[in-house]
Amino acid sequence: MVRTRQWLQASLLLFTGLYFLDNMLSGRIYFYINERFGWLSWMSTILFLTLGIFRITDLLKTRVEHSHEAHEHDIHEHTEHAHAGHTHASAPSWLKLGIVSIPLLMGLIIPSKPLGAAAVKTSGLSTQFSSQGQQTSQFNVSPADRNVLDWVRAFNSSSGMNEFTGQPADLIGFVYRDIRFDGKPQFMIARFAISCCVADASALGVIVQTADAAKLTQDSWVHVKGKFVVQSVDQHDTPVLIAESVEQTTQPTHPYLYP
Amino acid sequence: MDIFTLITTFSTRFLGIFIEAVSFLLLGTLISGLIEAFVTNDDIVKLIPRNPIAATLVGSMLGFLFPVCECGVVPVTRRLYQKGLPVSVGITFLLAAPVMNPIVLASTYAAFGFGPILVGRYVISWVMAVSIGLLFNFQHQPQRVIRPEAMALIGGGSSEAIVIPSQRMTLLPGLKKAITLAGEEFFEMGRFLIVGSLLAALMQTLIPQEALRALANNPVNSVLVMAGLAFVLSLCSTVDAFLALSFARTFTTGSILTFLTFGPMVDIKTTSMYMGMFRRRTVFYLVVLPFLISVLAGIWLNLNVKF
Repeated sequence: MVRTRQWLQASLLLFTGLYFLDNMLSGRIYFYINERFGWLSWMSTILFLTLGIFRITDLLKTRVEHSHEAHEHDIHEHTEHAHAGHTHASAPSWLKLGIVSIPLLMGLIIPSKPLGAAAVKTSGLSTQFSSQGQQTSQFNVSPADRNVLDWVRAFNSSSGMNEFTGQPADLIGFVYRDIRFDGKPQFMIARFAISCCVADASALGVIVQTADAAKLTQDSWVHVKGKFVVQSVDQHDTPVLIAESVEQTTQPTHPYLYP
Repeated sequence: MDIFTLITTFSTRFLGIFIEAVSFLLLGTLISGLIEAFVTNDDIVKLIPRNPIAATLVGSMLGFLFPVCECGVVPVTRRLYQKGLPVSVGITFLLAAPVMNPIVLASTYAAFGFGPILVGRYVISWVMAVSIGLLFNFQHQPQRVIRPEAMALIGGGSSEAIVIPSQRMTLLPGLKKAITLAGEEFFEMGRFLIVGSLLAALMQTLIPQEALRALANNPVNSVLVMAGLAFVLSLCSTVDAFLALSFARTFTTGSILTFLTFGPMVDIKTTSMYMGMFRRRTVFYLVVLPFLISVLAGIWLNLNVKF
């Protein structure tokens, strides 16, 4: 029984490592973390694989030595045992093995998807984003190249919204509509911004006006081109993007924006 | 919202927290393994002054020697206890190291620059860790602080804290042992990280954050909200400064400092990990004392200091 649990422990380490490797190679890792911390996940991948391979070679070695009953080896092993303490004799309990297998099982069974419209409900969708310490960055980006985050920052740090009238925008994001948009020819083109991982995700959005708004599927990715006009939304002057074209598009490789 | 979307959102949030935090846990277990192989009890005795107050002060700075965040600090502290580190010094190290280390210093500086947040974070965290550590000086029996299972590792199963004498290992066997131990410790501590991440993801999936934002400007409520948020979000101390930045404009400065001082010491995932190492009563103190000091400091700053 101890042997079974030792093998499970070793394979859990190895397969969690392989799961990480798959995430890294497929780029799905960016459904979970900021690109900036990709190197940390590479480190985890390497550590998991090293720990797993190490355990497995250890288990294989002890099996060979037990079956051969080579005396010399036994003596050698025994001195090593004394050094390594209890490492060979013990294995994690079934409960520990069960809990540690949760991330691997969830990662394999539940289809991997980035946060979308459903997560907006608890994160809250904001047309404001604080940019302390980075106030100037969005002004280095020309209006045509700005993404949702750049625009939201620009709106935020501006004193009057009228300066945005007529500015062109070219945006990619997912469709978000809730009851506020019922009966209106409008939707929100939204993105999540993450600093570290999805734990700190905050949803940001720009209001888009188009006749086809109601036909768009919630959560589907769209590419919108248009020009801003200023409208009064909930008694606040708000830039609204009047769409010239709304095209369906595929989810980008990096679904989140990094502030 | 249908159940399928709810499960996918929950899974993404859980895996996000886990993937980010596990790198630091793995680093922590590896450092812990390296300590076991290459640091002897004598080294610890030489490093830690006899005088309990001086020892606590050294404990508060050990993070610069063993740079770990709050996921890695628990296995390292456990290992240092096995090497004969006094209980109170270990408590101070446990609370201080997630902030008092070069990585967090760099990330806080990157996010806020040199100013009241950076200075405040370090001064308040240091005072919290040292004062709480000194309180544990009054408890001379380690077995009343640390769980019997963790004690078994320390005292070879007896209730007395007998320290196993240790030898410094040579390079290759030492590295081999460090890796073996890291693999074992990962199962020991990883389960608490996983349970904590599951809870944090559950809270984030079910509780709307918009309700919290309404309290952002009140000098007292904003501090309580940010303390609660720090607990629930369970962010790694190496990156929490970047998140705090996104709150800095809406929330009061005192509340941001509470977020940055309370969060690294106590959150869902560390509380869960503390449970695996300390007795219930100790965990209670380790949660309540930092909460009180950090919240009071935040409120006091909001009411008395103009930033």
